Order: sequence, then structure tokens, then C-alpha cells
Amino acid sequence: MRWQLSEEQDAYRQSFGAWLADVAPSEVVRRWLDDGDAAAFAERLVRDGWAGVGVPEALGGQGGGLVELALTAELLAGASAPSATWLATALAVPALGPGTAVAAFEGEHAALLSPADAIPGEGPRLTIDGEGRLQGTVPRVLAGDLAAQFVAVVDGPGGSPQLHLVPASTGVRAQARRLLDRSRSAADVVIEGATSGPLDVDARQFLAGCTARAAVLVAADSLGAMARMLDMAVEYSKQRHQFGVPIGAFQAVKHAAATILVEVEAARSAVYFAAASVDGGGPQSALHAAAVKAQVTAAGARVADSALTLHGAIGYTWEHDLQLFFKRAKLDEYLYGRPAGWNERIADGLDLAPS
Amino acid sequence: MDFELSEDQATIRRAVAELAAKFDDQYWMEKDAAHEFPTEFYKAFADGGWLGITTPEQYGGHGFGITEAALLLEEVSASGAGMNGASSMHLSIFGMHPVIVHGSEELKRQNLPRIADGDLHVCFGVTEPGAGLDTTRITTFARRDGSDYVVNGRKVWISKAMESEKVLLLTRTTRFEDVQKKTDGLTLFLTDLDRDHVDIRPITKMGRNAVSSNELFIDDLRVPEAHRVGEEGQGFRYILDGLNPERMLVAAEALGLGRAALRRAVRYGNERQVFGRPIGMNQGLQFPLADSLARLDAAELTLRKATWLYDNGKPCGREANTAKYLCADAGFDAADRALQTHGGMGYSEEYHVARYFREARLLKIAPLSQEMVLNYLGSHVLGLPRSY
Repeated sequence: MRWQLSEEQDAYRQSFGAWLADVAPSEVVRRWLDDGDAAAFAERLVRDGWAGVGVPEALGGQGGGLVELALTAELLAGASAPSATWLATALAVPALGPGTAVAAFEGEHAALLSPADAIPGEGPRLTIDGEGRLQGTVPRVLAGDLAAQFVAVVDGPGGSPQLHLVPASTGVRAQARRLLDRSRSAADVVIEGATSGPLDVDARQFLAGCTARAAVLVAADSLGAMARMLDMAVEYSKQRHQFGVPIGAFQAVKHAAATILVEVEAARSAVYFAAASVDGGGPQSALHAAAVKAQVTAAGARVADSALTLHGAIGYTWEHDLQLFFKRAKLDEYLYGRPAGWNERIADGLDLAPS
Repeated sequence: MDFELSEDQATIRRAVAELAAKFDDQYWMEKDAAHEFPTEFYKAFADGGWLGITTPEQYGGHGFGITEAALLLEEVSASGAGMNGASSMHLSIFGMHPVIVHGSEELKRQNLPRIADGDLHVCFGVTEPGAGLDTTRITTFARRDGSDYVVNGRKVWISKAMESEKVLLLTRTTRFEDVQKKTDGLTLFLTDLDRDHVDIRPITKMGRNAVSSNELFIDDLRVPEAHRVGEEGQGFRYILDGLNPERMLVAAEALGLGRAALRRAVRYGNERQVFGRPIGMNQGLQFPLADSLARLDAAELTLRKATWLYDNGKPCGREANTAKYLCADAGFDAADRALQTHGGMGYSEEYHVARYFREARLLKIAPLSQEMVLNYLGSHVLGLPRSY
């Protein structure tokens, strides 16, 4: 088995990384976060042509798949860039037709109407009347405050789900929620008689795919945050002196850093394997996705604690950037479902006795 | 609140440590390797009068409480004798509790003085292959035959049965299917392990090899009525009385084993030089040992509280279970870390920590698993629904 990024993927990683370093350095990101301005970065991402990467050419994107999206997620997290619209759109796009999809990654951000703290598709469904008007509330929708259009899961005939597209206009109200991680946003979306049009996709198939993609991309986000916290912790442990030596000389510190490195490398291998597996659509791909969501995001939360310990009190301050990645990793653990819920999915997929 | 040991307790502790120290690690390594009962060690403790520490004075003992018994077994274990030493006498120390409380005067006079002076070895025959910890599901059956009973069935994990003359045997006298309360219909006997009717087969196992663990095949074992402990059908209740003390004593043994392991680890950490300095200077080794010290000390406090509660006639289920849980964990972790500290040498028998490690692992399983302790705490203490 040969496992590495293709030349193209590697080139993408390099150039997108360089772009992020230029456009979203820490002081700029902090300004966006302080101002609650998620739009500035989202616009820049669209304007400079990155939003279509990982979107099939058939939908008007630049091609590539989940591996490219995972690279994007990892790098966005490593910069703590405001990325709720990017992720929400990446998850919603496969439900959209070519024209709508193009609009979605050209700034008309789309979002699935499903709670950001639940496994996609497990949230409440909307009700629909004979004229396609929708009714219902979906709490904590990722980018719910920023999306221009929503993919709604509607109760169809016989209880089967159907997908409808709802523009964020008349009859749609979004109440923003404050998150501890300011680099993502969520809102309760209240729909009162909004008009909608049916989407011509198999809802169950879309939701299953969306679930797997959400798992991989949140795990990739966690990986990016983890890797950045490792860099910061190592740098700090060389710079900070106590008892006449850099604290990195103490085994308790260096072993903790080495443990983070193990988590990061394990996460990287698993995330990109899962991304390729989901793209390949193999029979085990849903389990691979669930495994990385459960394992990597849990590791990310642990790493955040460990990195904070390595920084001592300075890491606890507002001035230090560690807080950005700490919160990012902590949200990733819960974003689109806690590890316990994903482990439950894995357990369901194994040949075990029912509990 | 007083954390000081009484004068008697301090004396017991010191005297036990001195006596146990006469049997060094070499002795235990050889006994373990040869699968040989530590007769000399057992005799030294019998001659010193230690086996009757909790036996009432009128039956040849000293009438001390569970606190003193725990100190004794902890020191035995901590000497490096570990579970081999502790198990050689464990049942004599407190196992006869149901007999002391519920047995007939005759049964007590016949047996207790002989147990206290070491002449009579006893084992505890409760667990069965088909029942595990679900004790009321045992099927070994004692059928009435005139004034006697005739027993048939199987027992498993019976420690020291090979070396024992008698067994404290739990049976059913009414079948599970025929009782209204599942805890009814169990009857306890203290009777002879007649080799003509009991086939005893030692189980090949991971450690604690100086004291056997056995499977018993009981075939028409005739037991006179006089060997019955208390009333017919009440055996489960009698056994229940002894469970908390049992957990505390096992906790004490686990704690002692942890102390023994930690002592060896610290010695090696100071002596062994790598990269031109003692390996104990590495935080990667020093911190786990310091952590184990803290955990052993904390577990010890819980154990002392549990035995104090019991000796003062107060409820102690929560504390006895907690002590078993924490001591078993702290003891095992200490043994594991001691082994790690020794590196490759830890894997050889020569440094003894491998033996401690094997024995410490047992205490996370016996006499009940850590998970069953959590079941107890979860349902009986926290009031959550019973999960099993």
C-alpha cells in the first residue's frame, strides 16, 4: 500500500497554506474574532477561488474530493480561521443542483438544517404543507446566521425524509448563538411558512454521505488544531526557562509533547485514510469516518488540555493564541456529535450482542 | 479525628514486619517457582499465635478486630511475601467469621482452637463454574439422608483446597427453582475434605503459585448434621456477613503488595546508573513512582476508615468496596511501574517485581472484579438502577 498525497494535493496544501499565512495571520484573525466578523474571511476565500476546491467539476467546482476538503479543514483549523460557512457549504453542496451549488461556493453559503451538536440528520424534521411551505425550528445550525440558503430535511410520505431548498428570506429567522469558540458560529433557525422547492436527490443517501463527510472534516479540523498546539507547546518549552534550563529539558514536559506528537501522527494517518475511504465508497467507509470522528476529536480535546498544561499560566491568558486552538479542539469534540454517539454507531456496525 | 494507631496496633505491625522479614524474597521466589506451600512461613506465624488474631479468646485466639487483621495481612504482603504469604493464612485469619457468629458451640470448640494454632487448614468453598459472582445460582446440592447430608457438585477457584483438611462449604438444600427468595435455600457446612469423595485438581495459573487454586469435584460427600453452620437454608445470609471484611483484608494485601513493589522500584531507581546517573533522576520514572506513593497513601486511608467503621459496628459497605477498589488499583499500578522501572530486569524473576506484578493483577479480579465493586457503588450507594 502506498499512502501519500498526490503531487497535486501536495501543491494545493502548500499554496493554500501560504495563502492562509498571508491572509489570516493571528493578529488579523483575532481582529475578525473580536469584531464578530466571519464574513470578511469567507468573502476572501471565495474571491481568491479556494471555495470550489474539493467540489466536483460536474457541480461547477474545481474538482477533487474529500481528501482535498480535509486538507482545507486541517489548514483552516491551524489558522483558527472563521470557517463555519465553508464547512456548512461543503456538507450541503452534494444536495444542490449544479447552478445552486456554484452559487453556494461563490458566496451564497448553504447549510444543512441540522443541529451542530448532533450527528447530521438526527435532528428534528420540518413539516410541509401542500404548497411547499415549511414549518419548524432547528436549533444550533452551523453557520445558521450566515447561510443564504438551507437544505431542509422534511417529513415526507410514509415518514421517509425528503430534502427541500429554502432561501434565507421571508419566513426564515435565525437567532445567533454565542459559542466559546468564536471561529465558528451557530444559530437557531425558525421557519414559519417559508416557501421551498424540492431537491432532486435521494435524501437518505445524501444524509448518509453528509454524515460521513462531516465526521471526516471535523476530525481533520481537530487534527489541524492539534498540530498547531503541538508546535506552540514545543516552541514555548524551548523558550521558557525554569531552574536554569528550558522547561523542555524536563522529561515530564518532553514526554507530554511526544505524546501529543503521537496523537497528531495517528490522527493524520486515520483522517486521510478515512477521507479516501469515504470518497471510494467502500463498505466500511461509514465506520472509518465514525472512527476518526470518535478517536481524533477526543484526542484533540485531550491534547488541548495537555498543551495548556505545558504552557502553564500564560496559556490561560487571553493574550496568548493558545486559547484559539484550545477552544477550536474542544468544539470539534462536540461538533456533529460527541465521540460516545459515534462509538455507538461503530458498535452498531459490529457483530456484538445488543445491550 | 485520630489517625494514630493504638499501642497494640503499632506493636502488631512492628512484630509482624519483623517476623515476616525472616522470609526473604529468595524464599518466596523459590516457593512460587516450585508451587510449594510455604510451610515454614505458615508455621512461624502459627507458632507466634498470629493465626488466631481475630478468633475469640475462649477459642484460643486474641479477639482483635478487622483493623488488626488488616494490619497483619498488609505487613505480611508488604514484606515481599505478597499473596503467597497472605493467602497461606488468609482464611485462618477471618474466614471462620460465619462459624464464630452462627456456628454451634460444639463446632466452634472442635475447630477454632485448631485453626488458631495452625494445626487445621481450611478453605472456602463458595464459587462454582456455572455461578461466578451470582452466588445464589450455585447448584452444589446437599441432600438430606437421615441425620446426614449427601453433597454432590462442583466448585472452582477454591484457594488452598489441596493443602486443606476442611472446607467451609456453601450448598443448596433447596433448588433455585423451588425457593421464593433466591437467597433462601442455601446451607453452609464446615466439614472434612474427604479425598475419597472430593477430587481436587489444581488450576494452572499466572501467579501466586505457592498456594494452590483448585477445582473440586464432589461426589456423594457425606456430611453429618453437626457440621452444619447455623440453620438450614440460611447459608447465604451467613456468608454475606463476611463479605465486607473479606474485601478489606484483600485491600490490605493489595496495599502491602504495592508497598513492596514501590520499595523495590525506589531501590533500583537509586542504584541503577544509565547515562552516568541514577535512573531515578529521570522524571519519566520518578513521577510515576511518586504518583503511586500518593495513590497508595490515599487508598490506605480509605482502608483504615473502612476497618474502623466495621470494628465500631457501623455500616461499612461503601468504604469496604471503595477500599478494595482503590487498593487493588494502586497496588497493581505500583507493581506495573516497579516493573517498568526495572526495564528488562523487571521481566526476570531475579528482581521479584515480576512476581509482585502477577500477584497484584489477581487483586483486580478476586475476590470480586473491580467492575462488580462499581456495580455495588453505582446501585447500592448512588441509587442508580441495578445494571446486571
